Amino acid sequence: MGIISIKNLSVSYGNIKILKNINMEINERKITAIIGPSGCGKSTLLKTINCMVEEETLSRVEGEILFKDNNIKEMTKEDIRKEIGLVFQNPTCFPFSIYKNMVYAQKYYGNTDKKKLKHMVEEKLKIAGLYDEVSNDLNKSALKLSGGQQQRLCIARALTVDPQVILLDEPCSALDVKNTKNIEEMLSKLSQDYTIIIVTHNLSQAKRIADYTAFILNGELVEYSDTETLFSNPKDKRTREYIEGIYG
Amino acid sequence: MNRYVKDLLLKLWCGISGIMVLSTLSFIIIYIFMKGFSSINLDFIIGAPKGVPIGSEGGIYPAIIGSVYLMIIACVFATVLAISTAVYLELYCKNEKLLKIMHLVIHCTAGIPSIILGMFGYTFLVLRLGLGRSLMAGGITLGIMIFPFIEIRVEKILNEMDKNIVYASYALGLPKSYTFLKLLLPIYKRDIISTVLLAGGFAIGAAAPIILTAAVMYAPVPRTVLAPVMALPYHLYILIGEGISVENAYGTAFVLIVLLLTMNILPILNSLSRGGE
Amino acid sequence: MYKIIEKIFSPIIRLLALCSVLILFLIIAFILKESLVIFKEVPILQFLLGRSWRPVSNTPTFSILPIILASMYVSVTAIVIALPIGIGCAMFISFFIGDVSREVLKSIINILAGIPSVVYGLIGLLVIVKYFEVRFSLVAGESVLAGGILLAIMILPYIINTCSESMIEIKKKYMATSDVLGVSKLYMISHLVLPAVSKAIIASTVLALGRAMGETMAVMMVIGNAPIMPKLLGKAQTIPSLIALEMGAAYVGSLHYHGLFAAGFVLMILLLLINIILYYIRRNISY
Repeated sequence: MGIISIKNLSVSYGNIKILKNINMEINERKITAIIGPSGCGKSTLLKTINCMVEEETLSRVEGEILFKDNNIKEMTKEDIRKEIGLVFQNPTCFPFSIYKNMVYAQKYYGNTDKKKLKHMVEEKLKIAGLYDEVSNDLNKSALKLSGGQQQRLCIARALTVDPQVILLDEPCSALDVKNTKNIEEMLSKLSQDYTIIIVTHNLSQAKRIADYTAFILNGELVEYSDTETLFSNPKDKRTREYIEGIYG
Repeated sequence: MNRYVKDLLLKLWCGISGIMVLSTLSFIIIYIFMKGFSSINLDFIIGAPKGVPIGSEGGIYPAIIGSVYLMIIACVFATVLAISTAVYLELYCKNEKLLKIMHLVIHCTAGIPSIILGMFGYTFLVLRLGLGRSLMAGGITLGIMIFPFIEIRVEKILNEMDKNIVYASYALGLPKSYTFLKLLLPIYKRDIISTVLLAGGFAIGAAAPIILTAAVMYAPVPRTVLAPVMALPYHLYILIGEGISVENAYGTAFVLIVLLLTMNILPILNSLSRGGE
Repeated sequence: MYKIIEKIFSPIIRLLALCSVLILFLIIAFILKESLVIFKEVPILQFLLGRSWRPVSNTPTFSILPIILASMYVSVTAIVIALPIGIGCAMFISFFIGDVSREVLKSIINILAGIPSVVYGLIGLLVIVKYFEVRFSLVAGESVLAGGILLAIMILPYIINTCSESMIEIKKKYMATSDVLGVSKLYMISHLVLPAVSKAIIASTVLALGRAMGETMAVMMVIGNAPIMPKLLGKAQTIPSLIALEMGAAYVGSLHYHGLFAAGFVLMILLLLINIILYYIRRNISY
């Protein structure tokens, strides 16, 4: 049993079915990559796992998702999202200082001890590999950071609530090679303690960092296995065509 | 008609209209300032109205304070209602149909003439709820008048924000209340304050809603919210309508306009200071 | 702490949102309730179509046709005056001046919109009415025309704002293309912009009509307040001014009181219709 089990999941917006009957087991403390052409529903799958689709009008979810054997429908949205963090495609730093971005969630839980907070901020920023770059100016506005730094700040911020799973929706699509490399290295390190699901359109990225890879096409889960098998010996013809670059 | 003549006519139309509007504008502003400035002095601002009939001599101090009080009650009432409604529509309501109906209702509320609001305030607040002609009844009536103005603008502010920032907050496991209070409110505080100030300007200048609900010819500075008050626009109307004192009417208009301009300029200063941040 | 806030936040927001919607229905209900009494005494048709409003005579009559007509007369007069000037001025600030002066001008026009109607009334009475009296040697300058001119000045900002907003949108969208085709700015205005903003012009007219019909103080101060059939240069009375003037003196519960509410109800229905039309016109504006 994985940490997350997705069973017969279908999602639709109005009359359009985005995801059709998905079944998946996500393994704990591994990196799972979800690949597929744009518009195939891979981002929707991520948003469904932490209930973000419910914030959108007209969305309907069928089937169930189990988190550690608990149906997520029976948990509150807030609890789910605390356990399963989400990092968006474009950096979503709040227009506050770096420090305030980092303590924003902690304040909700009533943690006001300055020393502890400072320690926590330092620790999480170090994990995200950002601490050395910003340590002497934590009061700088987060919006003044570079794109890559902002994205790493968002990942660090997601870590501040100690989630067990981190979902990343094409986190590197807006970044250059160097920043992408930074983030990939960080994710590999993170996977020792966290379960990571990453949506990416970059096949070599999936190959480089993912332990498992799932291929989604037109809302269907075509193939899901460990990364090496999927890339070297795909069972489905469509998977082969996709990784050979036919769907683009 | 050839093209040359047509172009010329169009140019003339635009030019003349522009000049007409500009000159009317300058005339109104200069007129009020010239006439008003010569008829005010310190005693006029800090003194109570005197003379027979009342208002023919003396000052307008109770009216200034009464107007400010009315505006404060109106702004508090309208802002609480408007922000709640805007937050509901932007963050909570997921039903397209309900959204459309509520927008139509708010739009219609905005279109109700202020005198009808005054009538409603009179029959409902003054008589039915027994508030009497009072600061409270007038303030709430004015609040109803400016509520749609604030709601529409606050909703627009929230609608134009980057939705992903809100979702990023949700993704941290934070509920809507915290997201609104600790993220959206701090970000948009200035814009909201500017909107409320503008709305306050409308409230302070409105006479029709308070004729029946709050304003009287003479009252001291109110000590409770259930006391009737004097208000600048009503005082101005009485001075001129009853032919009491044209001089003092100009002075009152001047004070009213200065108050309003201040409230119009504050938001601009507000946004300028942000630019310097 | 914040968890407790979250628990009460959502119900409060929902309740207040509900209240804000209920206000409109509460207003309609109360005005309607207070007006119904009069229709037991005076048939609706007589109320709407009769010609005399004498609420306090020995044999009181309650008919508001002259008053309804005067409300419309003065509003239409205002629109006839303001519309050409407003559209012209909107073109002026959209096409003939720079961005900086446009912003300055727009904020000044917004201030014009914010001037209280009593102040307009003051100017109307002491400038427009007085001018009429001196120039045309009228006994009393208070008239539908004076009200119309004053209202025209008051609704100009609404017309200018609505129209110029649309014009600037259009300009942004098509100016480059139009320039490439080598047509003159004036040709573009008359052949492209004016047809394209026709909906905005209609919307601004309806909006202005709503504002004009509901305006109380300014009109009341210059129109003379006589409930007779309106003539352009004669005195008249509008529904809002009728209410503002007589409500305070009408004994609560008397026919007079209920008659005023019925007049208010008629005005409210007219304005609700105008606003619903406006709402749908605005929703259909897109470029």
